[in-house]
Amino acid sequence: MTATTGTTPAAEATPPSTTLADILAGSRVLVTCGPGGVGKTTCAAALGIAAAETGRRVVVMTVDPARRLADALGIDVDAKMYEPHEVVGIGSRGGALFALMLDAETTFDRMIVERAGDAAKADKILANPVYRSIAGSLAGAQDYMAIERLHQLHDSGEYDLLIIDTPPSRDAIDLLEAPDRLVRFLGHPIYRALTMPSRSFARVANAGTSAFVWVVRRLAGPRLVEDTIEFFRSLSGMEQGLRQRAAEVAELLRADSSVFVMVSSPRAEAVHESVHLANAVIDGGFGLDSVVINLVHPLPPPLIDMPPIADGPLADHIAYHRDLTALATSEREQMAALIAVADGAPVTEVPLLEVDVHDLDGLGRLAELLVR
Amino acid sequence: MQPAWVTDARVVVVAGKGGVGSSTVSAALALVAARDGADVLLISVDGRPGIGPLLGGAPLDREDRVLRIVPAGKGSGRIRGRTIPPQQAFADYLELKGVGGVLRKAAAAASLDSIAAATPGLEHLLVLGKIKELERERAADLIVVDAPPAGHAASFLRSASALQAVVANGPVRVQADEVAAMLADRNRCQALLVTLAEETPVNEVIELAYDIEEALGLSLAPLVVNSCWPDRDGLLSTVTAASKSQGVKLSAANKAALDASADFGRSRLEGQRRQLARLADELALPRIVLPRLPTADFGAAELEIMADALAVPVTVQR
Repeated sequence: MTATTGTTPAAEATPPSTTLADILAGSRVLVTCGPGGVGKTTCAAALGIAAAETGRRVVVMTVDPARRLADALGIDVDAKMYEPHEVVGIGSRGGALFALMLDAETTFDRMIVERAGDAAKADKILANPVYRSIAGSLAGAQDYMAIERLHQLHDSGEYDLLIIDTPPSRDAIDLLEAPDRLVRFLGHPIYRALTMPSRSFARVANAGTSAFVWVVRRLAGPRLVEDTIEFFRSLSGMEQGLRQRAAEVAELLRADSSVFVMVSSPRAEAVHESVHLANAVIDGGFGLDSVVINLVHPLPPPLIDMPPIADGPLADHIAYHRDLTALATSEREQMAALIAVADGAPVTEVPLLEVDVHDLDGLGRLAELLVR
Repeated sequence: MQPAWVTDARVVVVAGKGGVGSSTVSAALALVAARDGADVLLISVDGRPGIGPLLGGAPLDREDRVLRIVPAGKGSGRIRGRTIPPQQAFADYLELKGVGGVLRKAAAAASLDSIAAATPGLEHLLVLGKIKELERERAADLIVVDAPPAGHAASFLRSASALQAVVANGPVRVQADEVAAMLADRNRCQALLVTLAEETPVNEVIELAYDIEEALGLSLAPLVVNSCWPDRDGLLSTVTAASKSQGVKLSAANKAALDASADFGRSRLEGQRRQLARLADELALPRIVLPRLPTADFGAAELEIMADALAVPVTVQR
C-alpha cells in the first residue's frame, strides 16, 4: 500500500524516486489490474520472473478464463492443475517461479469438504445440482475462489511473493470486492431465512423470502427451489468460517506488503478504462502503487528536409516512418492521463517489442524492461 | 452498397477478446448497414459508454435512442443505440409474461441478485431473451450486439444451454429454449468474431470460433482482423539499397531515422503475415482485414474509414 490510506507513516516517507523494482522487492502480495488486451497477464508473469531472479520463491496465479498465462508459460492448458507448477529454468540464488491457473471448481469443492465437518454432509453438498452450477459457472464464485486460493497459498508459508493477475475489468475490481460481497450475501435476510430448519423457516420466513421462493418456483420450477433451499441449508454450518476467511483476506489485501500495479496501454480506450479502474482501486482503500504502460510504439527520430519521393521502395519506407511517428506521437499524448492518475507512484513505460511476447525468452526480456 | 453478408442474419453478435476493438467494429458494422438505408439497433451488453458519442450521439443507456441519421441514396438509414441492464430485462420479462401485480411486487422484493445467485446464467439469459424479443418483433432491420469480451462472450452465449441443463421446466426453460433456437438459426443470428494479427488474440479467436460454432451451433459471419499495418513491400529492402536503387542521396540523420522505423516495421509486418497465415490455416472462414490507423485516439473520422474497409463483399460458406 502507498500513502493514499494516510495511515502508514513508513509509506509516506517513501522517496519519490521509488521504482517498480523497489515496489516488487518490498511486496508479499502483488495484484495486477487493468483493462483487457494490454498484456496484463504477460506483465504479471514477467514480474514473477524478475522477483525469482532476485532469489525469491514466487507464485503467479491467473484467474483469467482465457488462460493467457498458460500460453506464455508453455503449460498444458487441458491439464487441470490445482497446485502451483514450477516453471523450469527460471530463478537464481535459490529463487523459483511457480505458475497456477485458478481451478475455481476444485477450490470450491475442497473448501466445502474442509468446512463441512463430516464426509456425508460434504457429499450431499457436492452432489447438489445448484451447488454444481454455482461452483462451475457463477462469475462471483470464481472471484471468491481466487481470493480463497490466495489465502491458502499465503498461509502455506512456502512462497515469498504471490502475484495475482485479476481478470480484465472496466469499472470495478470484482475480485477485490468478492470477500465483502460474500459476507453481504450471507447477511441477506433471504439467505438467513433459507438456512433455518424447515419448521422455524415456515414460521419466521418474511415476505421477501416467501417472494423469493415463489418467484424462483414460478420461473424455474419447484425442483430448482428445493435444490436451492437444500444448498443454502447445507451451507449453514459454514457461515462463520466463510465470514472469518473473508475478513482475513480483506485484511491481507490491505496490508502494507500488498501492492497494486495497474497495467495499461497507450490506446485511448484502454487509458480511459484504466483511469476508471485506478479510481476504483483508490476508492476501495487499496492504493495504487505503480503503473505500467505496456505496448508503447517506439518514436523514430524525425526526418529533416526529406525530399518528396513518389514511389519505389523508399516511398514505402517514408510512408511507414510517417505512420509510425503519427501513432507513437498520439500514444504519448494519451499517456499523460495515466501519468496523472499514478499521482507520483512509479510509472514504467514498456515498448511494444518487435516480436509479440509468448515464450519464456520474451518474458525474460519483458522482465528486464520492467525492473531496469 | 453494403455487401450481402451484413444483413445475412437479423442479429449479429460481435465478439472478441478485450482490446481487439470489437466495440468499434460493432459501431462500424452499424454504420455500414445504415449507409444502405437500414434501420439499425446497436446494443452494448455491458454498456460501453463511449460507443454512443463515437457514432455522434449521447452515451448509451437503457433508453432506445437515435444516435445518428445516415444519408443513403434518396432516403436515409439510422442507427439507434441502447444497453440492456439485467434488471430491466427482468422487469420487461415479467411484463411480457403477463405476470400479475402480486408476483411482480414479490419479484421486486426478492431482488434479482438473490434470484440470479440461485439461477446461474440467468442474467445473461434475460439479456439474450430481451434481444430475442426485439428480433422477433422486428424492432430493427439489423440488430448489432456488442458482446462482453471473450471469456465472458462464451459464457454469455452459453447461458441458454447452461440453463437448459439445470432447469427442467417453467418459464426460464421456455426462455432458454427460445434463445437457443434463435442462436442456432443462421437467418436469425450470427456471430462476428474480431481479432488482431498477434499471437495471443489469434490463439483465442480460434478457440472461441470452435467453441461458439460447435457448442452452440451458432453460424459465424466473416472473421474481422483488426488493426493490420498496410503491407509495404518496400520495407523488405534496406534503406541503403532502396535509396541507391532510386538514386536518392539521404542525409545520415534521415537514413538513421528511416532505419529505425524500418527495423521495427519489418519484424512487426513479418509477425502480422505469420499470424494471418495461421488464421487462414486454422479457420475456414472468410476474412476481412481492417487497417491500423496511425492514431491512438479513435474518433468519428476513423470510424468512417473502418466502415469503408468493412464494407467489402466476401463469400460466406453455407
